[in-house]
Amino acid sequence: MRDNTLKYLLVLPAVVVVFATAIWPLIEAARLSFTVGRLNRPGSLDQYIGWENYTWAFFEEPAFWNSVYVTALYTFLTVGLTTLLALGLAMLLAPGGKLRSAAQTLLILPFAMSPALIGVSFRFMFNPEFGLFDAFFGAVFPPLADVSWLANPNLAFAVVVMADVWGWIPFLTLVLIGGLASVPRDTVEAAQVDGASGWRVFRDVTLPQLGPVLAVVIILKSIFSLKTFDQVFMLTNGGPGTATQTLSHYIYFNGMKYGQIGYSASVAWLMVIPMIFLTYAYAKFVFRKG
Amino acid sequence: MAEIKLKNLTKRWGDFVGVDDQSLDIADKEFLVLLGPSGCGKTTTMRMIAGLEEPTGGEIWIGDRMVNDDLPKDRDVAMVFQNYGLYPHMTIFENIAYPLRVRGVDKADIPERVQKAAEQVELTQFLDRKPKALSGGQRQRVALARAIVRTPKVFLMDEPLSNLDAKLRVTMRAELKHLSRELQITTVYVTHDQIEAMTLADRVAIMKHGVIQQLGTPDDIYNDPANLFVAGFIGSPAMNLINGSVQDGMFVTTGGTRLVKVNTPDRAAAILGVRADDMQVHEQGQGDIDVTIYAFENTGESTLLTVQWGKQRVIARGDRHLRKDQGDVVGISLNSDHLYLFDPETENRIGM
Repeated sequence: MRDNTLKYLLVLPAVVVVFATAIWPLIEAARLSFTVGRLNRPGSLDQYIGWENYTWAFFEEPAFWNSVYVTALYTFLTVGLTTLLALGLAMLLAPGGKLRSAAQTLLILPFAMSPALIGVSFRFMFNPEFGLFDAFFGAVFPPLADVSWLANPNLAFAVVVMADVWGWIPFLTLVLIGGLASVPRDTVEAAQVDGASGWRVFRDVTLPQLGPVLAVVIILKSIFSLKTFDQVFMLTNGGPGTATQTLSHYIYFNGMKYGQIGYSASVAWLMVIPMIFLTYAYAKFVFRKG
Repeated sequence: MAEIKLKNLTKRWGDFVGVDDQSLDIADKEFLVLLGPSGCGKTTTMRMIAGLEEPTGGEIWIGDRMVNDDLPKDRDVAMVFQNYGLYPHMTIFENIAYPLRVRGVDKADIPERVQKAAEQVELTQFLDRKPKALSGGQRQRVALARAIVRTPKVFLMDEPLSNLDAKLRVTMRAELKHLSRELQITTVYVTHDQIEAMTLADRVAIMKHGVIQQLGTPDDIYNDPANLFVAGFIGSPAMNLINGSVQDGMFVTTGGTRLVKVNTPDRAAAILGVRADDMQVHEQGQGDIDVTIYAFENTGESTLLTVQWGKQRVIARGDRHLRKDQGDVVGISLNSDHLYLFDPETENRIGM
């Protein structure tokens, strides 16, 4: 067999798997998004209605826009908070930083936990009767005792953000520690000798050289924040009301709970659009040359 | 403008001693070279002066101020790094301007001062490029310009020429010397290259295992080495060291050859040091001793004769027109004004 033929044959299994698990569902979802697509109505999966699902989402469904808003705010907050905190931690944990190894090992723990588990444990911790936060905040600041965190729309949202930030800090910290290690030490030392204060060394020398890694971190976290589902599902199930209903949860709700597969496929495809941009940006940073 | 005083300076990492209780006074405007093989503590000493490394013990004084607890930025030093330490995301102009900016120099004065520093190192046409677009020699100049753009109390240079190719190193060495004489600022210069040390220094401190072996002018260390280490480290080719003893005022090699008269009391063991340049090569029978040539090398400016001397090999420098071949026998005589005797036990010079 010629090498040329062989090489295609060897990648074929991988191509088949990717096609079956990623490409085909995307295509099928695109098709479904143009149908009536009710799980409880036989034949509706082949009943085409043009762009009606999309126009419905855009013009007739405030819950869709609510989910867009929740997802956007959620993404903005989690990306911002996680990146800032991870950067701070990385500075402390990097070689020459003030904390080291043991802390670094412990740090990976939250990341080893599944998001669903994080959701469940946070739900228990915020339980108004026997939760850790109730006891802790209640002791430190009595007015917060017996607050039903997850029953209040704003507080529930804060809890979801907190759980996500907690779960993601370790991984991003490790990535940023790697990034910091690649900043040449003598540029930092040169700046110190040149007369820069600690903050200016960071701002003028470390941060600019960390730029590409930081960009990857932000893009990656944005992708994951946009599609958050399991934590929300376990922690609040989108509630109270729709206060924490992210797009992923909204899609699940419409598709699986109400059986509106066609409609949820169209929303899912609307979510693909920002993802494509982010993935493109990510690939550009990760695979860039030189 | 300031002198530097190191008092009982020590640096340890666990059991490893980097710098061992060293004291050193560097005069105002002096160019002092710290010379030694890698791991001898010379760079550590310099980094402690810069404030990049914290001493385990001892004091560092710059001018009349003890700077042990000062941050690098408060010590008023400028440093040139071995890998230059240029800021890759800034233009050359911004690199040179950075020390001025962070020290709050009036913005209106910056372009003029950067221009002047760039002129001193002949960099003016590269100011809007990034470091990546420059050659090694040019980057080296940027690092220099960044150091001289303000007038610090002290210059610190950490092997600044070691990343350049041999030819460029010679050019830059001369430029560095010219610049240092022009600027008249106290300078500490770290290198493992003895030629750099010899050519640039007012005084050289030779270090080994964290201890200064000898401190002196280039003349001192070349002509009056204090011990075997200094004798072997300075000079190219390295000083010949011949094992033997002193009997009846004569140095006798271990092979039994009565070689040369020395003014030293008799002793059972001694090492005779003699530089290649201090041996004269004659025709057979006309020198103090006849030896067989092991290898003959013509370097262009002179010839090097490696000769078999009993069980030892010794290098002598001959005239550049001399032509001999392997196996030929020549006569060698020693210049008795330039012989050094060392104690094999202590490795110190005898009679110093």
